[in-house]
Amino acid sequence: MVIWIVVALVGAGALGGIAFHRGEPLNATWFVVAAACCYLVAYRFYSAFIAARLLTLDDTRATPSERHDDGRDFVPTNKWILFGHHFAAIAGPGPLVGPTLAAQFGYLPGTLWLIAGAVFAGCVQDFIILFCSIRRDGKTLGEIAREEVSQRGGFIAQLAVLAIMVILLGVVALVIVNALKSSPWATFTLAATIPIALLLGLYLRFLRPGRVLEASFIGVALVLFVVVAGQWVADSPSWAHVFTLSGVTLAFALIAYGFAASALPVWLLLAPRDYLSAFIKAGAIFSLAAGILLVRPQVLMPPLTRFIDGSGPVFAGKIFPFCFITIACGAISGFHSLISSGTTPKMILRESHARFIGYGAMLMESFVGVMAMIAACAMTPGVYFAINSPASIVGATSDAAAATISSWGYPLQAQTMTDLARAVGEQTLLNRAGGAPSLAVGMAQIFSSTIGGPRLLSIWYHFAIMFEALFILTVLDAGTRVGRFMVQELGGRVWKPFARTGWWPGILISSALIVGAWGYFLYQGVVDPLGGINSLWPLFGISNQLLAAVALVVATTILLKMKRIRWIWLTLIPMTWLVIITMTASYQKIFDPNPRLGFLSYAKALAAQITAGKIPAVKIADTQRVIFNQRLDAAVTAVLAAMIIVLIIEALMQWYRILSADRKSVLHETAYLATRWPENFSGASYTVTAAEPDVPAMEG
Amino acid sequence: MHSVQVEAPAHMEKPHALALAIWIIRLAAKLWLGIREWCGDSAYERYVQAQRTNSEKVSLLTPAEFYVDRLNRRYSRPNRCC
Repeated sequence: MVIWIVVALVGAGALGGIAFHRGEPLNATWFVVAAACCYLVAYRFYSAFIAARLLTLDDTRATPSERHDDGRDFVPTNKWILFGHHFAAIAGPGPLVGPTLAAQFGYLPGTLWLIAGAVFAGCVQDFIILFCSIRRDGKTLGEIAREEVSQRGGFIAQLAVLAIMVILLGVVALVIVNALKSSPWATFTLAATIPIALLLGLYLRFLRPGRVLEASFIGVALVLFVVVAGQWVADSPSWAHVFTLSGVTLAFALIAYGFAASALPVWLLLAPRDYLSAFIKAGAIFSLAAGILLVRPQVLMPPLTRFIDGSGPVFAGKIFPFCFITIACGAISGFHSLISSGTTPKMILRESHARFIGYGAMLMESFVGVMAMIAACAMTPGVYFAINSPASIVGATSDAAAATISSWGYPLQAQTMTDLARAVGEQTLLNRAGGAPSLAVGMAQIFSSTIGGPRLLSIWYHFAIMFEALFILTVLDAGTRVGRFMVQELGGRVWKPFARTGWWPGILISSALIVGAWGYFLYQGVVDPLGGINSLWPLFGISNQLLAAVALVVATTILLKMKRIRWIWLTLIPMTWLVIITMTASYQKIFDPNPRLGFLSYAKALAAQITAGKIPAVKIADTQRVIFNQRLDAAVTAVLAAMIIVLIIEALMQWYRILSADRKSVLHETAYLATRWPENFSGASYTVTAAEPDVPAMEG
Repeated sequence: MHSVQVEAPAHMEKPHALALAIWIIRLAAKLWLGIREWCGDSAYERYVQAQRTNSEKVSLLTPAEFYVDRLNRRYSRPNRCC
């Protein structure tokens, strides 16, 4: 107990240090210590409380992996390995990009929300949804919502999943485009991973079926080689020309790639790329953690910047609600509820493991977010703003950007940007909104301080870009494929043959529909004069947080049915908070009079410019397209907001029924079945036989 | 891994050195098995075991069939997040 008091005091001290420190730059160690101590205390006490009092996890109850053990979907899995699976599934580009963008408010608000949001909202959501799915044979969030809330609630959850998928894929594709445009080195490296993945696909399918580990070693070695080889391509004028692509060309290349990955057999391209990505992702995240601990960089960004007033160049909007909307996944991500009600519950061995896997993996994801925040804030604020601001705000040249950013109070020399671009092997680092390049610069500076010095800065930069782009591509192709299945399922309701997963016209049409949908958002982001991130990242944040609100509505309903009324605030408060931030952000994004923030006012301002004759005749068609896109974004935001309002009304009606004494609510849990596994069974071998005695059943 | 002989450094007492070496080798072996299972390298072995233990089925998928079947299942539902 004494140890825990010490951990709590150290954590509180470090948090206090971060919050109240002014003047000299703060060392990153403060962030690591504050986060680690908060996570430890939260895991030890809060998650234990949820496990024991709220959910009353029961290890005598057989989990779906025991009930249905088939060695395919339902596989009893060791808790550490399942933690690895679950973490690899939930950790995507969100916790890297979100905190990097939110660093425009300063390091303090983002760091506090990453820690508090994860501890009180994100981890709670992941843990409880995982528990609910375990108790329901591994059912998905949509199925659980249909059973426990209402038919309409389930339908809304399904629609929300499809909407978030389309917006997510559009915005992450935009992050890749902004990282690769006019960069022959990075473009070559990423392009070369496609033939490498195809090679691995053929190896794993025909030469050595299923030998994932050896194939991945070969693949990772080849990928590391092409990172270095990219420099030779960039140095050769003829090859560099081939791989120097504009944003629009890259957008169409990604759209074509997404279509191919969705329609081709999964073993050929998608799965081998995913193996590569998983290993490189794990390696890069561990290296970043080790690098931060070894280098202990100074955090040069101030705790709060002047942009908390909403005038930020990276994206518009005040600290409330846009800090929360922008951080999204690192604190709470609705998407995680799909993993927690997907693969993981079918593989979990014991109910008590849900605490470590559900709550623990999300703590680790939040820690990745804190590291991204450190990497972004460890660079000079002037450089950070030069990389992440669109040309329409800071200017397209180094001189213009340096003058504008210096006038904000963040001194920057034009030469600094030119030198930095040369040092990392790029033509320019200006106007690369999206978070990936600035994170790569931050990571490269940390890595090169450990190994290689300034000489290897360019290699580390392109390693970091490749790592981010590779696993964003994995989200892109895996997401497109899942989206295709959703479209096929929806289409099958209208016309049955469409739902047949092996029917080629169905595959091609549904792939084209889903790729067309996210491709449209991507294209609109690439041609947006304000930099597409300004419009699309908040839209993504809103849809993601909306899905989290859906998951928490479902969790709250189930807890009410379980008669846990005394502790209902554990999910009710985060849910209410999410509803408040998504509704406020939606309202501001649609109606705010500031054209940089409000979709409709931007459309109106552009229309007024056309009427006043301020737009040259050749640009009128383009401007009209931008106007249409803004109105479309406003409509999408309005639909998302309407969905959550309908769901809340549905849930309130359901809660009224549950709480009114005259009606008995039905909980759709599977019936209690006692486990036959011995207490020390770890999933490592199948030692259980029918002859073993039953564990005495407890009251369910 | 069970038959590996490790010579103890001269300055260490033998039993301690041996115990340490065995502990390290066991840990490495555990890690290796963990990584194999995490990435799906041992999935086929698991499947064969599961089928033999839990059902009367005699016809098993071949490694190549199982590999394709497993991937098709895995990538038809959300398994990679934002």
